[in-house]
Amino acid sequence: MKNIIYSIKKYKFLLYELVSRDFKVKYKRSVLGVLWSLLYPVLTMTVMALVFSNMFKFSMPDVNYLVYLMSGLIIFNYYSEASNLAMSSVVGNFSLINKVYIPKYIFPLSKCIFVGINFLLTLIPLYAIILLTGTGINIHHLLLPYAFLCLFLFTVGMGFILATISVFLRDMFYIYGVMITLWMYMTPIMYDFAMIPAKLQFIFKLNPLYWFIYFTRDVILYNQVPSLNVWLYCGLFAVGFLLIGIFVFKKYQDKFIYYV
Amino acid sequence: MDKDIMIKVKDVSMRFNLGIDKGFSLKQGFVNLFDPKMRKKHKEEKKKNEFWALKDVDFSVKKGEVVGFIGSNGAGKSTLLKVVAGVMKPTKGKVESYGTICPMIELGAGFDMDLTARENIYLNGAVMGYSKNFLDEKFNEIVEFSELKDFLDVPVKNFSSGMIARLAFSVATIVEPEILIVDEILSVGDLAFQAKSEAKMLNMITGGTTVLYVSHSIESIKKLCDKVIWIEHGEIQAIGGKEVCDKYIEYVNKEA
Repeated sequence: MKNIIYSIKKYKFLLYELVSRDFKVKYKRSVLGVLWSLLYPVLTMTVMALVFSNMFKFSMPDVNYLVYLMSGLIIFNYYSEASNLAMSSVVGNFSLINKVYIPKYIFPLSKCIFVGINFLLTLIPLYAIILLTGTGINIHHLLLPYAFLCLFLFTVGMGFILATISVFLRDMFYIYGVMITLWMYMTPIMYDFAMIPAKLQFIFKLNPLYWFIYFTRDVILYNQVPSLNVWLYCGLFAVGFLLIGIFVFKKYQDKFIYYV
Repeated sequence: MDKDIMIKVKDVSMRFNLGIDKGFSLKQGFVNLFDPKMRKKHKEEKKKNEFWALKDVDFSVKKGEVVGFIGSNGAGKSTLLKVVAGVMKPTKGKVESYGTICPMIELGAGFDMDLTARENIYLNGAVMGYSKNFLDEKFNEIVEFSELKDFLDVPVKNFSSGMIARLAFSVATIVEPEILIVDEILSVGDLAFQAKSEAKMLNMITGGTTVLYVSHSIESIKKLCDKVIWIEHGEIQAIGGKEVCDKYIEYVNKEA
Protein backbone atom coordinates (compact mmCIF):
# COMPACT_ATOMS: atom_id res chain seq x y z
CA MET A 1 0.00 0.00 0.00
CA LYS A 2 2.79 2.37 0.94
CA ASN A 3 4.46 1.51 -2.32
CA ILE A 4 1.35 2.34 -4.29
CA ILE A 5 1.02 5.77 -2.70
CA TYR A 6 4.70 6.43 -3.25
CA SER A 7 4.51 5.42 -6.91
CA ILE A 8 1.39 7.51 -7.51
CA LYS A 9 3.14 10.50 -6.00
CA LYS A 10 6.26 9.93 -8.01
CA TYR A 11 4.45 9.36 -11.29
CA LYS A 12 1.70 11.94 -10.86
CA PHE A 13 3.49 14.26 -13.23
CA LEU A 14 3.94 11.51 -15.81
CA LEU A 15 0.22 10.79 -15.61
CA TYR A 16 -0.48 14.46 -16.18
CA GLU A 17 1.93 14.58 -19.11
CA LEU A 18 0.44 11.48 -20.74
CA VAL A 19 -3.06 12.89 -20.51
CA SER A 20 -2.02 16.27 -21.85
CA ARG A 21 -0.09 14.58 -24.63
CA ASP A 22 -3.27 12.81 -25.72
CA PHE A 23 -5.07 16.13 -25.87
CA LYS A 24 -2.33 17.84 -27.82
CA VAL A 25 -2.09 15.02 -30.34
CA LYS A 26 -5.83 14.61 -30.66
CA TYR A 27 -6.54 18.17 -31.66
CA LYS A 28 -3.39 18.96 -33.58
CA ARG A 29 -4.17 20.25 -37.07
CA SER A 30 -7.91 20.30 -36.55
CA VAL A 31 -9.51 23.67 -37.12
CA LEU A 32 -12.22 23.35 -34.49
CA GLY A 33 -9.96 21.69 -31.91
CA VAL A 34 -11.51 21.06 -28.51
CA LEU A 35 -14.85 22.21 -29.90
CA TRP A 36 -15.10 18.74 -31.43
CA SER A 37 -15.52 17.28 -27.96
CA LEU A 38 -18.74 19.25 -27.73
CA LEU A 39 -19.90 18.90 -31.32
CA TYR A 40 -19.24 15.24 -31.81
CA PRO A 41 -21.76 13.86 -29.29
CA VAL A 42 -24.37 16.37 -30.43
CA LEU A 43 -23.98 15.33 -34.05
CA THR A 44 -24.06 11.58 -33.34
CA MET A 45 -27.07 12.15 -31.14
CA THR A 46 -28.82 14.05 -33.91
CA VAL A 47 -28.19 11.26 -36.38
CA MET A 48 -29.46 8.65 -33.96
CA ALA A 49 -32.45 10.77 -33.04
CA LEU A 50 -33.38 11.19 -36.71
CA VAL A 51 -33.12 7.47 -37.33
CA PHE A 52 -34.61 6.04 -34.19
CA SER A 53 -37.34 8.44 -33.22
CA ASN A 54 -39.07 7.50 -36.47
CA MET A 55 -38.40 3.80 -36.19
CA PHE A 56 -39.41 3.07 -32.63
CA LYS A 57 -42.56 4.26 -31.03
CA PHE A 58 -41.18 5.87 -27.94
CA SER A 59 -43.80 5.19 -25.29
CA MET A 60 -42.83 7.47 -22.44
CA PRO A 61 -45.03 10.56 -22.82
CA ASP A 62 -43.40 12.64 -20.08
CA VAL A 63 -39.90 12.00 -21.21
CA ASN A 64 -38.05 13.97 -23.82
CA TYR A 65 -36.46 11.56 -26.26
CA LEU A 66 -33.45 13.76 -26.95
CA VAL A 67 -32.51 13.94 -23.29
CA TYR A 68 -33.16 10.22 -22.90
CA LEU A 69 -30.92 9.44 -25.85
CA MET A 70 -28.15 11.88 -24.99
CA SER A 71 -27.85 10.78 -21.35
CA GLY A 72 -27.43 7.15 -22.36
CA LEU A 73 -25.18 7.96 -25.27
CA ILE A 74 -22.55 9.99 -23.44
CA ILE A 75 -22.19 7.30 -20.78
CA PHE A 76 -21.89 4.50 -23.28
CA ASN A 77 -19.54 6.52 -25.47
CA TYR A 78 -17.30 7.20 -22.51
CA TYR A 79 -17.10 3.53 -21.67
CA SER A 80 -16.59 2.43 -25.24
CA GLU A 81 -13.86 4.93 -26.10
CA ALA A 82 -12.00 4.69 -22.80
CA SER A 83 -12.02 0.90 -22.67
CA ASN A 84 -10.85 0.67 -26.27
CA LEU A 85 -7.97 3.08 -25.74
CA ALA A 86 -7.03 1.47 -22.44
CA MET A 87 -6.98 -1.93 -24.10
CA SER A 88 -4.41 -0.90 -26.68
CA SER A 89 -2.42 1.36 -24.35
CA VAL A 90 -0.02 -1.27 -23.06
CA VAL A 91 0.72 -2.79 -26.45
CA GLY A 92 0.96 0.70 -27.96
CA ASN A 93 3.52 1.91 -25.45
CA PHE A 94 5.71 -1.12 -25.74
CA SER A 95 8.72 0.88 -26.91
CA LEU A 96 8.63 2.68 -23.57
CA ILE A 97 7.89 -0.32 -21.38
CA ASN A 98 10.78 -2.15 -22.96
CA LYS A 99 13.30 0.53 -22.14
CA VAL A 100 12.46 2.41 -19.00
CA TYR A 101 10.92 1.24 -15.79
CA ILE A 102 7.47 2.81 -15.52
CA PRO A 103 4.59 1.35 -13.56
CA LYS A 104 2.51 -0.13 -16.36
CA TYR A 105 -0.88 0.61 -14.86
CA ILE A 106 -0.25 4.24 -15.70
CA PHE A 107 -1.09 3.69 -19.39
CA PRO A 108 -4.65 2.35 -19.09
CA LEU A 109 -5.29 4.77 -16.26
CA SER A 110 -4.14 7.78 -18.27
CA LYS A 111 -6.47 6.81 -21.13
CA CYS A 112 -9.46 6.54 -18.79
CA ILE A 113 -8.67 9.97 -17.37
CA PHE A 114 -8.15 11.49 -20.80
CA VAL A 115 -11.51 10.26 -22.08
CA GLY A 116 -12.99 11.23 -18.71
CA ILE A 117 -12.08 14.87 -19.25
CA ASN A 118 -13.68 14.64 -22.66
CA PHE A 119 -16.73 13.14 -20.98
CA LEU A 120 -17.00 16.14 -18.68
CA LEU A 121 -16.95 18.37 -21.74
CA THR A 122 -19.84 16.42 -23.24
CA LEU A 123 -21.90 17.36 -20.19
CA ILE A 124 -22.07 20.86 -21.66
CA PRO A 125 -24.16 19.82 -24.68
CA LEU A 126 -26.15 17.48 -22.46
CA TYR A 127 -27.13 20.33 -20.16
CA ALA A 128 -27.79 22.57 -23.13
CA ILE A 129 -30.32 20.01 -24.36
CA ILE A 130 -31.79 19.58 -20.88
CA LEU A 131 -32.41 23.31 -20.74
CA LEU A 132 -33.56 23.75 -24.33
CA THR A 133 -36.10 20.96 -24.11
CA GLY A 134 -37.47 22.33 -20.88
CA THR A 135 -36.61 19.20 -18.89
CA GLY A 136 -35.23 21.36 -16.13
CA ILE A 137 -32.56 21.04 -13.49
CA ASN A 138 -33.08 20.29 -9.83
CA ILE A 139 -31.10 19.78 -6.68
CA HIS A 140 -30.81 16.03 -7.29
CA HIS A 141 -28.34 16.66 -10.07
CA LEU A 142 -25.75 16.97 -7.33
CA LEU A 143 -26.00 13.17 -6.97
CA LEU A 144 -24.76 12.54 -10.51
CA PRO A 145 -21.04 12.58 -9.67
CA TYR A 146 -21.65 9.29 -7.84
CA ALA A 147 -22.80 7.60 -11.04
CA PHE A 148 -19.93 9.13 -13.00
CA LEU A 149 -17.39 8.02 -10.41
CA CYS A 150 -18.78 4.48 -10.55
CA LEU A 151 -18.62 4.58 -14.34
CA PHE A 152 -14.99 5.70 -14.16
CA LEU A 153 -13.93 3.02 -11.69
CA PHE A 154 -15.71 0.31 -13.65
CA THR A 155 -14.03 1.48 -16.85
CA VAL A 156 -10.58 1.52 -15.23
CA GLY A 157 -11.16 -2.04 -14.03
CA MET A 158 -12.27 -3.17 -17.48
CA GLY A 159 -9.34 -1.29 -19.01
CA PHE A 160 -6.91 -3.27 -16.86
CA ILE A 161 -8.56 -6.56 -17.76
CA LEU A 162 -8.70 -5.80 -21.49
CA ALA A 163 -5.15 -4.48 -21.62
CA THR A 164 -3.90 -7.66 -19.98
CA ILE A 165 -5.81 -9.97 -22.30
CA SER A 166 -4.82 -8.09 -25.42
CA VAL A 167 -1.11 -8.42 -24.59
CA PHE A 168 -1.38 -12.19 -24.72
CA LEU A 169 -4.11 -12.44 -27.32
CA ARG A 170 -4.08 -9.85 -30.08
CA ASP A 171 -7.34 -11.27 -31.42
CA MET A 172 -8.92 -9.40 -28.56
CA PHE A 173 -8.89 -6.15 -30.53
CA TYR A 174 -11.26 -7.68 -33.07
CA ILE A 175 -13.27 -9.71 -30.60
CA TYR A 176 -13.84 -6.67 -28.44
CA GLY A 177 -14.88 -4.60 -31.43
CA VAL A 178 -17.71 -7.06 -32.04
CA MET A 179 -18.50 -7.28 -28.34
CA ILE A 180 -18.86 -3.55 -27.96
CA THR A 181 -21.32 -3.39 -30.85
CA LEU A 182 -23.42 -6.10 -29.23
CA TRP A 183 -23.03 -4.36 -25.89
CA MET A 184 -24.38 -1.14 -27.34
CA TYR A 185 -27.58 -2.79 -28.50
CA MET A 186 -27.88 -4.62 -25.19
CA THR A 187 -27.84 -1.29 -23.38
CA PRO A 188 -31.02 0.76 -23.43
CA ILE A 189 -29.55 3.85 -25.04
CA MET A 190 -31.94 4.59 -27.88
CA TYR A 191 -34.85 2.31 -27.08
CA ASP A 192 -37.22 2.12 -24.16
CA PHE A 193 -36.29 -0.63 -21.73
CA ALA A 194 -39.97 -1.58 -21.36
CA MET A 195 -39.84 -2.89 -24.94
CA ILE A 196 -37.68 -5.80 -23.82
CA PRO A 197 -39.75 -8.92 -23.01
CA ALA A 198 -40.03 -9.31 -19.24
CA LYS A 199 -38.41 -12.74 -19.37
CA LEU A 200 -35.22 -11.36 -20.89
CA GLN A 201 -34.92 -8.25 -18.78
CA PHE A 202 -32.72 -9.91 -16.17
CA ILE A 203 -29.96 -10.39 -18.75
CA PHE A 204 -29.96 -6.68 -19.45
CA LYS A 205 -29.69 -5.96 -15.76
CA LEU A 206 -26.40 -7.85 -15.51
CA ASN A 207 -24.90 -5.05 -17.55
CA PRO A 208 -23.16 -2.53 -15.24
CA LEU A 209 -23.68 0.25 -17.78
CA TYR A 210 -27.43 -0.32 -17.47
CA TRP A 211 -27.25 0.73 -13.83
CA PHE A 212 -25.06 3.79 -14.38
CA ILE A 213 -27.46 4.97 -17.05
CA TYR A 214 -30.46 4.08 -14.88
CA PHE A 215 -29.10 6.20 -12.05
CA THR A 216 -28.41 9.13 -14.35
CA ARG A 217 -31.84 9.02 -15.96
CA ASP A 218 -33.58 8.70 -12.63
CA VAL A 219 -32.07 12.02 -11.69
CA ILE A 220 -32.24 13.85 -14.99
CA LEU A 221 -35.55 12.64 -16.39
CA TYR A 222 -37.61 11.85 -13.32
CA ASN A 223 -36.18 14.35 -10.83
CA GLN A 224 -35.88 11.71 -8.15
CA VAL A 225 -33.30 10.22 -5.84
CA PRO A 226 -32.49 6.73 -7.14
CA SER A 227 -33.56 3.93 -4.83
CA LEU A 228 -31.07 2.25 -2.57
CA ASN A 229 -30.63 -0.85 -4.71
CA VAL A 230 -29.59 1.29 -7.68
CA TRP A 231 -26.92 2.93 -5.55
CA LEU A 232 -25.76 -0.50 -4.44
CA TYR A 233 -25.63 -2.05 -7.90
CA CYS A 234 -23.64 0.90 -9.23
CA GLY A 235 -21.15 0.79 -6.37
CA LEU A 236 -20.76 -2.99 -6.34
CA PHE A 237 -20.19 -3.26 -10.08
CA ALA A 238 -17.68 -0.40 -9.98
CA VAL A 239 -15.63 -1.63 -7.05
CA GLY A 240 -15.95 -5.27 -8.05
CA PHE A 241 -14.62 -4.80 -11.57
CA LEU A 242 -11.93 -2.41 -10.35
CA LEU A 243 -10.65 -5.02 -7.91
CA ILE A 244 -10.73 -7.81 -10.49
CA GLY A 245 -8.91 -5.53 -12.92
CA ILE A 246 -6.20 -4.64 -10.43
CA PHE A 247 -5.77 -8.28 -9.47
CA VAL A 248 -5.47 -9.52 -13.06
CA PHE A 249 -3.17 -6.70 -14.14
CA LYS A 250 -0.90 -7.09 -11.15
CA LYS A 251 -0.67 -10.80 -11.58
CA TYR A 252 0.40 -10.71 -15.22
CA GLN A 253 2.22 -7.42 -15.65
CA ASP A 254 5.70 -8.88 -15.23
CA LYS A 255 5.07 -11.19 -18.16
CA PHE A 256 3.97 -8.41 -20.53
CA ILE A 257 7.48 -7.73 -21.65
CA TYR A 258 7.86 -11.18 -23.25
CA TYR A 259 4.72 -10.86 -25.31
CA VAL A 260 4.61 -7.32 -26.59
CA MET B 1 28.34 -6.31 4.27
CA ASP B 2 29.96 -3.06 3.48
CA LYS B 3 27.82 -0.03 2.89
CA ASP B 4 29.62 0.96 -0.27
CA ILE B 5 27.76 -1.52 -2.43
CA MET B 6 25.28 0.17 -4.76
CA ILE B 7 24.13 -2.70 -6.92
CA LYS B 8 24.12 -6.34 -6.12
CA VAL B 9 23.29 -8.84 -8.82
CA LYS B 10 22.81 -12.26 -7.26
CA ASP B 11 22.82 -15.37 -9.45
CA VAL B 12 20.62 -13.77 -12.04
CA SER B 13 19.35 -15.98 -14.84
CA MET B 14 17.04 -14.88 -17.58
CA ARG B 15 15.07 -17.24 -19.75
CA PHE B 16 13.41 -16.34 -22.99
CA ASN B 17 11.10 -18.51 -24.97
CA LEU B 18 12.03 -18.21 -28.61
CA GLY B 19 8.79 -19.79 -29.78
CA ILE B 20 6.80 -17.24 -27.90
CA ASP B 21 5.73 -15.42 -31.01
CA LYS B 22 3.34 -18.22 -31.69
CA GLY B 23 1.73 -17.20 -28.46
CA PHE B 24 -1.16 -19.06 -27.01
CA SER B 25 -2.93 -21.31 -29.44
CA LEU B 26 -6.45 -22.49 -28.83
CA LYS B 27 -5.87 -25.59 -30.89
CA GLN B 28 -2.79 -26.54 -28.92
CA GLY B 29 -4.65 -25.85 -25.69
CA PHE B 30 -7.43 -28.23 -26.64
CA VAL B 31 -5.09 -30.95 -27.81
CA ASN B 32 -3.10 -30.66 -24.59
CA LEU B 33 -6.23 -30.86 -22.54
CA PHE B 34 -7.28 -34.23 -23.90
CA ASP B 35 -4.06 -35.94 -24.89
CA PRO B 36 -1.36 -36.38 -22.25
CA LYS B 37 1.12 -37.59 -24.86
CA MET B 38 0.75 -34.42 -26.86
CA ARG B 39 1.02 -32.43 -23.67
CA LYS B 40 4.38 -34.01 -22.95
CA LYS B 41 5.57 -33.44 -26.48
CA HIS B 42 4.50 -29.85 -26.36
CA LYS B 43 6.36 -29.34 -23.11
CA GLU B 44 9.53 -30.77 -24.58
CA GLU B 45 9.17 -28.59 -27.61
CA LYS B 46 8.80 -25.60 -25.36
CA LYS B 47 11.95 -26.55 -23.54
CA LYS B 48 13.84 -26.82 -26.81
CA ASN B 49 12.82 -23.27 -27.63
CA GLU B 50 14.11 -21.96 -24.36
CA PHE B 51 17.01 -19.64 -24.49
CA TRP B 52 18.98 -18.52 -21.51
CA ALA B 53 20.05 -14.95 -22.17
CA LEU B 54 21.76 -14.81 -18.79
CA LYS B 55 23.09 -17.68 -16.72
CA ASP B 56 23.96 -17.24 -13.06
CA VAL B 57 25.35 -13.78 -13.45
CA ASP B 58 26.70 -12.61 -10.15
CA PHE B 59 28.55 -9.44 -9.34
CA SER B 60 28.32 -6.32 -7.27
CA VAL B 61 29.14 -2.71 -7.96
CA LYS B 62 30.51 -0.29 -5.40
CA LYS B 63 29.68 3.35 -5.06
CA GLY B 64 31.45 5.50 -7.61
CA GLU B 65 32.65 2.58 -9.66
CA VAL B 66 32.45 2.74 -13.42
CA VAL B 67 31.82 -0.71 -14.78
CA GLY B 68 32.14 -1.49 -18.45
CA PHE B 69 30.44 -4.44 -20.10
CA ILE B 70 31.91 -6.00 -23.19
CA GLY B 71 31.00 -9.01 -25.30
CA SER B 72 29.74 -9.98 -28.74
CA ASN B 73 26.35 -9.03 -30.09
CA GLY B 74 23.63 -11.00 -28.35
CA ALA B 75 25.86 -11.93 -25.45
CA GLY B 76 23.30 -10.63 -22.98
CA LYS B 77 24.73 -7.23 -22.07
CA SER B 78 21.63 -5.20 -22.81
CA THR B 79 19.40 -7.78 -21.17
CA LEU B 80 21.53 -7.53 -18.06
CA LEU B 81 21.21 -3.76 -17.98
CA LYS B 82 17.45 -4.04 -18.41
CA VAL B 83 17.27 -6.41 -15.49
CA VAL B 84 19.30 -4.01 -13.35
CA ALA B 85 17.11 -1.09 -14.42
CA GLY B 86 14.00 -3.00 -13.37
CA VAL B 87 12.53 -3.16 -16.87
CA MET B 88 12.60 -6.95 -16.73
CA LYS B 89 12.26 -9.28 -13.81
CA PRO B 90 14.87 -12.03 -13.76
CA THR B 91 13.66 -15.61 -14.10
CA LYS B 92 15.94 -16.60 -11.25
CA GLY B 93 18.04 -14.62 -8.83
CA LYS B 94 17.72 -11.16 -7.47
CA VAL B 95 18.89 -7.64 -8.13
CA GLU B 96 19.27 -5.18 -5.31
CA SER B 97 20.08 -1.57 -5.92
CA TYR B 98 20.54 1.20 -3.43
CA GLY B 99 20.03 4.51 -5.17
CA THR B 100 18.17 6.34 -7.89
CA ILE B 101 18.72 4.76 -11.26
CA CYS B 102 18.77 6.68 -14.49
CA PRO B 103 18.55 4.27 -17.39
CA MET B 104 19.82 5.57 -20.70
CA ILE B 105 19.24 2.30 -22.42
CA GLU B 106 17.78 3.81 -25.50
CA LEU B 107 17.64 7.54 -25.86
CA GLY B 108 14.42 9.18 -26.80
CA ALA B 109 12.30 6.18 -25.96
CA GLY B 110 9.70 8.48 -24.47
CA PHE B 111 9.46 10.90 -27.36
CA ASP B 112 6.23 11.49 -29.17
CA MET B 113 7.07 12.44 -32.73
CA ASP B 114 3.97 14.62 -33.10
CA LEU B 115 4.89 16.88 -30.21
CA THR B 116 7.33 19.76 -30.25
CA ALA B 117 10.75 19.66 -28.67
CA ARG B 118 9.49 21.77 -25.77
CA GLU B 119 6.61 19.40 -25.08
CA ASN B 120 8.87 16.39 -25.43
CA ILE B 121 11.33 17.69 -22.87
CA TYR B 122 8.54 17.58 -20.31
CA LEU B 123 7.10 14.29 -21.48
CA ASN B 124 10.46 12.55 -21.58
CA GLY B 125 11.45 14.08 -18.27
CA ALA B 126 8.25 12.73 -16.74
CA VAL B 127 9.01 9.30 -18.16
CA MET B 128 12.36 9.41 -16.40
CA GLY B 129 10.49 10.19 -13.21
CA TYR B 130 11.38 13.87 -12.76
CA SER B 131 8.92 16.35 -11.31
CA LYS B 132 7.49 19.41 -13.03
CA ASN B 133 9.25 21.85 -10.72
CA PHE B 134 12.54 20.17 -11.37
CA LEU B 135 12.05 20.33 -15.13
CA ASP B 136 10.95 23.98 -15.01
CA GLU B 137 14.11 24.74 -13.13
CA LYS B 138 16.38 22.83 -15.48
CA PHE B 139 14.60 23.68 -18.71
CA ASN B 140 17.06 26.33 -19.84
CA GLU B 141 19.99 24.16 -19.00
CA ILE B 142 18.58 21.33 -21.08
CA VAL B 143 17.91 23.60 -24.04
CA GLU B 144 21.30 25.17 -23.81
CA PHE B 145 23.11 21.86 -23.70
CA SER B 146 21.19 20.48 -26.66
CA GLU B 147 21.86 23.66 -28.70
CA LEU B 148 18.35 23.39 -30.13
CA LYS B 149 17.03 26.72 -28.93
CA ASP B 150 15.76 27.74 -32.36
CA PHE B 151 13.83 24.52 -32.85
CA LEU B 152 11.95 24.36 -29.58
CA ASP B 153 8.51 24.67 -31.15
CA VAL B 154 9.12 22.36 -34.06
CA PRO B 155 7.54 18.89 -33.96
CA VAL B 156 10.21 16.32 -33.29
CA LYS B 157 9.26 14.33 -36.40
CA ASN B 158 10.91 17.07 -38.44
CA PHE B 159 14.18 16.66 -36.55
CA SER B 160 17.17 14.80 -37.89
CA SER B 161 18.14 11.69 -35.97
CA GLY B 162 21.17 13.50 -34.63
CA MET B 163 19.03 16.33 -33.29
CA ILE B 164 16.68 13.87 -31.60
CA ALA B 165 19.61 12.13 -29.97
CA ARG B 166 21.01 15.42 -28.73
CA LEU B 167 17.72 16.40 -27.19
CA ALA B 168 17.33 13.02 -25.56
CA PHE B 169 20.85 13.02 -24.19
CA SER B 170 20.35 16.49 -22.75
CA VAL B 171 17.16 15.48 -20.94
CA ALA B 172 18.56 12.20 -19.70
CA THR B 173 21.72 13.60 -18.19
CA ILE B 174 20.20 16.62 -16.51
CA VAL B 175 20.00 14.94 -13.13
CA GLU B 176 22.88 13.58 -11.27
CA PRO B 177 21.52 10.15 -10.53
CA GLU B 178 23.29 7.86 -8.13
CA ILE B 179 23.36 5.08 -10.68
CA LEU B 180 23.64 5.74 -14.38
CA ILE B 181 23.04 2.98 -16.89
CA VAL B 182 24.39 3.72 -20.33
CA ASP B 183 23.96 1.53 -23.36
CA GLU B 184 26.17 2.67 -26.20
CA ILE B 185 25.17 6.26 -26.59
CA LEU B 186 28.33 8.25 -26.58
CA SER B 187 28.41 8.21 -30.34
CA VAL B 188 25.56 10.68 -30.43
CA GLY B 189 25.30 13.65 -32.78
CA ASP B 190 28.10 15.31 -34.68
CA LEU B 191 31.75 15.45 -33.65
CA ALA B 192 31.40 18.57 -31.56
CA PHE B 193 28.46 17.15 -29.67
CA GLN B 194 30.20 13.84 -29.19
CA ALA B 195 33.06 15.60 -27.45
CA LYS B 196 30.62 17.57 -25.37
CA SER B 197 28.60 14.56 -24.32
CA GLU B 198 31.71 12.61 -23.48
CA ALA B 199 32.91 15.49 -21.34
CA LYS B 200 29.56 15.52 -19.59
CA MET B 201 29.78 11.80 -18.94
CA LEU B 202 33.29 12.16 -17.56
CA ASN B 203 32.02 14.94 -15.38
CA MET B 204 29.32 12.74 -13.96
CA ILE B 205 31.74 9.91 -13.44
CA THR B 206 34.22 12.02 -11.54
CA GLY B 207 31.30 13.47 -9.61
CA GLY B 208 30.90 10.14 -7.87
CA THR B 209 28.09 8.62 -9.92
CA THR B 210 28.09 4.87 -10.22
CA VAL B 211 27.98 3.94 -13.88
CA LEU B 212 27.18 0.77 -15.77
CA TYR B 213 28.36 1.18 -19.31
CA VAL B 214 27.92 -1.02 -22.35
CA SER B 215 29.97 -0.32 -25.42
CA HIS B 216 31.63 -1.99 -28.36
CA SER B 217 34.28 0.67 -28.35
CA ILE B 218 37.07 -0.96 -26.36
CA GLU B 219 38.88 2.33 -26.49
CA SER B 220 36.21 4.22 -24.60
CA ILE B 221 35.77 1.37 -22.14
CA LYS B 222 39.46 1.50 -21.39
CA LYS B 223 39.33 5.24 -21.00
CA LEU B 224 36.30 5.42 -18.72
CA CYS B 225 36.01 2.24 -16.68
CA ASP B 226 37.64 1.04 -13.48
CA LYS B 227 36.18 -2.40 -13.78
CA VAL B 228 35.38 -4.46 -16.84
CA ILE B 229 33.00 -7.40 -17.09
CA TRP B 230 33.15 -9.60 -20.14
CA ILE B 231 29.98 -11.50 -20.96
CA GLU B 232 29.63 -14.20 -23.57
CA HIS B 233 26.61 -16.48 -24.16
CA GLY B 234 24.95 -15.07 -21.08
CA GLU B 235 27.79 -16.00 -18.77
CA ILE B 236 30.46 -13.91 -17.20
CA GLN B 237 33.79 -14.86 -18.73
CA ALA B 238 35.96 -12.52 -16.73
CA ILE B 239 35.76 -9.71 -14.23
CA GLY B 240 38.68 -7.48 -13.58
CA GLY B 241 40.53 -4.36 -14.61
CA LYS B 242 41.43 -3.21 -18.09
CA GLU B 243 43.30 -6.43 -18.79
CA VAL B 244 39.92 -8.07 -19.40
CA CYS B 245 39.64 -6.03 -22.59
CA ASP B 246 42.81 -7.61 -23.93
CA LYS B 247 41.50 -11.08 -23.13
CA TYR B 248 38.35 -10.24 -25.03
CA ILE B 249 40.27 -8.96 -28.02
CA GLU B 250 42.36 -12.10 -28.00
CA TYR B 251 39.20 -14.22 -27.95
CA VAL B 252 37.67 -12.30 -30.82
CA ASN B 253 40.79 -12.66 -32.92
CA LYS B 254 40.90 -16.37 -32.25
CA GLU B 255 37.26 -16.81 -33.24
CA ALA B 256 37.86 -14.93 -36.45
